[in-house]
Amino acid sequence: MALSGMRGLSVFISDIRNCQNKEQERLRVDKELGNIRTRFKNEKGLSPYEKKKYVWKMLYIYMLGYDVDFGHTETVSLISAPKYPEKQVGYIVTSCILNENHDFLRMVINTVRNDIIGRNETFQCLALTMVGNIGGREFAESLAPDVQKLLISSSCRPLVRKKAALCLLRLYRKNPDVVNIEGWSDRMTQLLDERDFGVLTSVMSLFVALVSNNTDAYWNCLPKCVKILERLTRNQDIPQEYTYYGIPSPWLQVKTMRALQYFPAIEDPNIRRSLFEVLQRILMGTDVVKNVNKNNASHAVLFEALALVMHLDAEKEMMSQCVALLGKFIAVREPNIRYLGLENMSRMLLVIDVQDIIKRHQAQIVTSLKDPDISIRRRALDLLYGMCDVSNAKDIVEELLQYLSTAEFAMREELALKAAILAEKFAPDLSWYVDVILQLIDKAGDFVSDDIWYRVVQFVTNNEDLQPYAAAKAREYLDKPALHETMVKVSAYLLGEYSHLLIRRPGCSPKEIFAIINEKLATVSTATIPILLSTFAKILMHSQPADPELQDQIWLIFRKYESYIDVEIQQRAVEYFALSKKGAALMDILAEMPKFPERQSSLLKKAEDTEIDTAEQSAIKIRAQQQTSNALVVTDQPPPTNGTAPTGVGQLALVKIPNQNVDSASPDHSITPENGVISKSVSEAPASDLLVDLLGPLAIEGPPAPAVSGEQTSFPGLNATPSPVDALALAILSDQSTGVQPIGNIDERFHALCLKDSGVLYEDPYIQIGVKAEWRGHHGRLVLFLGNKNTASLSSVKALILPPAHLKMELSLVPDTIPPRAQVQCPLVVMNLHASRDVGALDLSYKFEATLVNVKLRLPAVLNKFLQPIQMTAEEFFPQWKALAGPPLKLQEVVRGVKPMLLPEMADLFASLRFAVTPGLDVNPNNLVATTSFYSETTHAVLCLVRVETDPTDRTQLRLTVASGDPTLTFELKELIKDHMVGLPMAPPVPAPLLPQPQPQPQPPSVAVASDDPGAILAGLL
Amino acid sequence: MIRAVIVMSTEGKSRLARFYDYQPPEKQQELIRRLYGVLSSRPEGVSNFAQVEAIFGPDTRMVYKHYATLYFVFVFDSSENELAMLDLIQVFVETLDKCFKNVCELDIVFNFNKMHSILDEIVFGGQVLETSSDEVLKAVEEITRLEKSASSGGPLPKSVVGRLSR
Repeated sequence: MALSGMRGLSVFISDIRNCQNKEQERLRVDKELGNIRTRFKNEKGLSPYEKKKYVWKMLYIYMLGYDVDFGHTETVSLISAPKYPEKQVGYIVTSCILNENHDFLRMVINTVRNDIIGRNETFQCLALTMVGNIGGREFAESLAPDVQKLLISSSCRPLVRKKAALCLLRLYRKNPDVVNIEGWSDRMTQLLDERDFGVLTSVMSLFVALVSNNTDAYWNCLPKCVKILERLTRNQDIPQEYTYYGIPSPWLQVKTMRALQYFPAIEDPNIRRSLFEVLQRILMGTDVVKNVNKNNASHAVLFEALALVMHLDAEKEMMSQCVALLGKFIAVREPNIRYLGLENMSRMLLVIDVQDIIKRHQAQIVTSLKDPDISIRRRALDLLYGMCDVSNAKDIVEELLQYLSTAEFAMREELALKAAILAEKFAPDLSWYVDVILQLIDKAGDFVSDDIWYRVVQFVTNNEDLQPYAAAKAREYLDKPALHETMVKVSAYLLGEYSHLLIRRPGCSPKEIFAIINEKLATVSTATIPILLSTFAKILMHSQPADPELQDQIWLIFRKYESYIDVEIQQRAVEYFALSKKGAALMDILAEMPKFPERQSSLLKKAEDTEIDTAEQSAIKIRAQQQTSNALVVTDQPPPTNGTAPTGVGQLALVKIPNQNVDSASPDHSITPENGVISKSVSEAPASDLLVDLLGPLAIEGPPAPAVSGEQTSFPGLNATPSPVDALALAILSDQSTGVQPIGNIDERFHALCLKDSGVLYEDPYIQIGVKAEWRGHHGRLVLFLGNKNTASLSSVKALILPPAHLKMELSLVPDTIPPRAQVQCPLVVMNLHASRDVGALDLSYKFEATLVNVKLRLPAVLNKFLQPIQMTAEEFFPQWKALAGPPLKLQEVVRGVKPMLLPEMADLFASLRFAVTPGLDVNPNNLVATTSFYSETTHAVLCLVRVETDPTDRTQLRLTVASGDPTLTFELKELIKDHMVGLPMAPPVPAPLLPQPQPQPQPPSVAVASDDPGAILAGLL
Repeated sequence: MIRAVIVMSTEGKSRLARFYDYQPPEKQQELIRRLYGVLSSRPEGVSNFAQVEAIFGPDTRMVYKHYATLYFVFVFDSSENELAMLDLIQVFVETLDKCFKNVCELDIVFNFNKMHSILDEIVFGGQVLETSSDEVLKAVEEITRLEKSASSGGPLPKSVVGRLSR
């Protein structure tokens, strides 16, 4: 055993070790600190050796966890000591105990700089190490240039240069604005040629930092990186000391592959090929061996290679090979490899093509849920969660439920949450969803957060079909002994609302329901009592005229709680008692809860929040984020106006908003002041209170404003003449109801669909309309996909087609209702009569809850859809071109303000407009000739010829010549092409006056044919 | 980036703690305590990974190795490769072994200052500095020579040696 070489230090450490308990240790430490403090006070008598010894002791004490609030000056001053041992202590201890903003650091900045620029390499190393470990801003400002010089100096030893590289990296990471890296891309290419592996490893780390900030500047380094990787994997010329368990520096291999993951794509086919060869070699040449260290090293490289393959979007074959490898790994004996196999499979899920292959390993992954290692179980859970979709949700959720009973407590909450989220996201049917959540509450009630049971209540409330089923289930659970309190809450709530739907079933009469819930009343907590009271009030309401016996029992309970200490319970008891004496009025006030406004599930939101990872910006991460935002039920509701963040909670009130009829129609007006008092208490309640109990002080408050819209029918009682106050309230509400914002730009979506045949035409928080089209000759068939994004139905769906004069359009029947999350397909048949650029429109309206949404959308049945490209040879083309001589059959125009395009881009544009572009037909390489044929019922096929002459010195202008045998077609086609060349014509947001109106169209002078099409006004939109 | 390198005994006493993002001393102690809670609950023969995001914050990972009475722990973020970090622990330990000739916990306890010098040759400002234990050894030997040439601590009294061997 070696000793520190400082007697006093060794003695002190030994004393500490001999302490029997923490108290003795503290006494010994205090004594030592006192001693050091006294010695430091009288600094003159202190030898450098003693100083060094005391500073080490301080660091030791600091490591033991004691606060060392003195001696910093002495520590820092050692940095300026002339001799190595003192200087070393000063540097090491300073970097351990001071942070970058410590004032004392300023005192030594000059000394540090002198050490860095001085000739003593050992001093350079010490100084660089401290600066690198602390990385303060002032260091960066004054030292970065000197550190850069050391890195590129040819006279420095590798020992110094590798530290300079990492020191620079640290300064740059912490203060990117201070470190000047201009012109570093050329320098990096040189540095990547470094022969010394120690320096090269550090340089590669620096390179990763630089390239992660600005990929574009470092493209020139890409081939170097691939070369380094090739050399390493081929084991060419690798020094022995950098071979680790037979593997050429795994760290350098890993870092190099990390660097390559920052380049968005590798275009150069040669580099790409060599890189894939290397990757293939790594993937195929790695086996699981006996030696653990060798295994770790070879698999470090292998897993990094997998990450790179994923990043590069390799061919499906290679991806499948990767999944196969991972499938092998998750079943091996070596736990580290099992762990990483599962983790990487989760990452692999982001690659669309291979998800099905991953699903084949589901059984093995489920087995990993029983692994002895909790780290592996967690990975397996993450993977199952990630791979779950509609096809396997039932299996996976059931596995999770099963696992829930045996899982350790540390995992149960996460497990319960994940199961609930998956059940919500992928429920094949809603009754299954209810089953799952009730099972969850039953098995792990303690771990089921309130969000989960609020959500199931929302679902049931919003889906009438589900209500009897959920109530029956709740009733079944109540028969179980030892019920979790959350189960009591949810059962009581559901039975309060819906038990009247079960009335004919055995054990479900109001009396029986009351009796079984009343059994629980004695044992539940204060938070649950209000829910039970509401349930009783509702039971009473549903059994009107009340069974006198039942009524007495319930009144007895209300009376009992009238003087209860908890204000909430007391208030409810008093109110319900008074209300239940009102007879018919009770019916109105306690009527069934209205549907909840559709909103993003707080659970799904939670899930998304935890998935957002800001760490890396690699392509894979970004893709991942895009994916999570696609959750089916996510709706882009405007933020809630009442200011409580998780509004799901506050809106679960039990009692519906009282309608004005109560006041006006009820002969007994005494309710009015009561009501007033209550609503006052509501408005005074702090927002956070809403979270405490879902009933909160909301006894007489309905869902807040966004739930309601201008549609009066949502208030069954509001048919009385509204008072001025009511009118005002309604005006505000209808203002809010216009807030249905389309998602994405409608114009852009339309223009995209003009050039392709499938895509999204429209989307808002409730509905998504997709289009898929097929065209043949002058016929077309569009299918509109109307998708309900919500968990409640869309009703009163109406679709009306407004065709322009030149198109015959026929829409098949659109169903009146779109069920929750369903998609309906509505074929639309189109026939083209003659050439025109007018467009048809779809007038769609639907009702969601009480919100009536009406949109008018242009349909992408446009002129160019009736074109069919024709390839022509020069012999065919020129006679035709000459035959169509001059206006009105051949029109020519100089177009200015063209969106600059290179010829290949322009050729692409013509191709998507359904023209055939024939290169070489025009001898001038700056020109382009395109040919197609146009189909309509009146003209059948008409040949169309187009020539574009571009000016390479000014791409914003060109000369366009269009020729065809039909003058209208020639003109319309020319205008169409112009529109597409000049760029997206930005029409005003979807116009209200979309209905075709006859109106003269301004005619360009070159055209003889006047367009008197009644739909001509629409042309302006295109 | 490597956030921290921690060596602690299987009883939870820290033997070396290096945080590359400054943490105040109380926080360091808390982190080490909670880390020990995770490590001590892990049985033998499982993987070398455990989740520490609850302790060290988002985007942190941890690998550890258990040697006799010591845990060697590296905490780092997703920019590092887990297995490469595990390899680096191995390099660290192999270097200690060469330095101290069959290293044991006592070597580490009494030479905690030297541990810092060795670690500084392997990890620098949270980045991998050197991966060849031969190269590290060369650098450390040079430091030891410099320390000795400038001063000497004098021989240990017998009483101390006797107490140390407990």
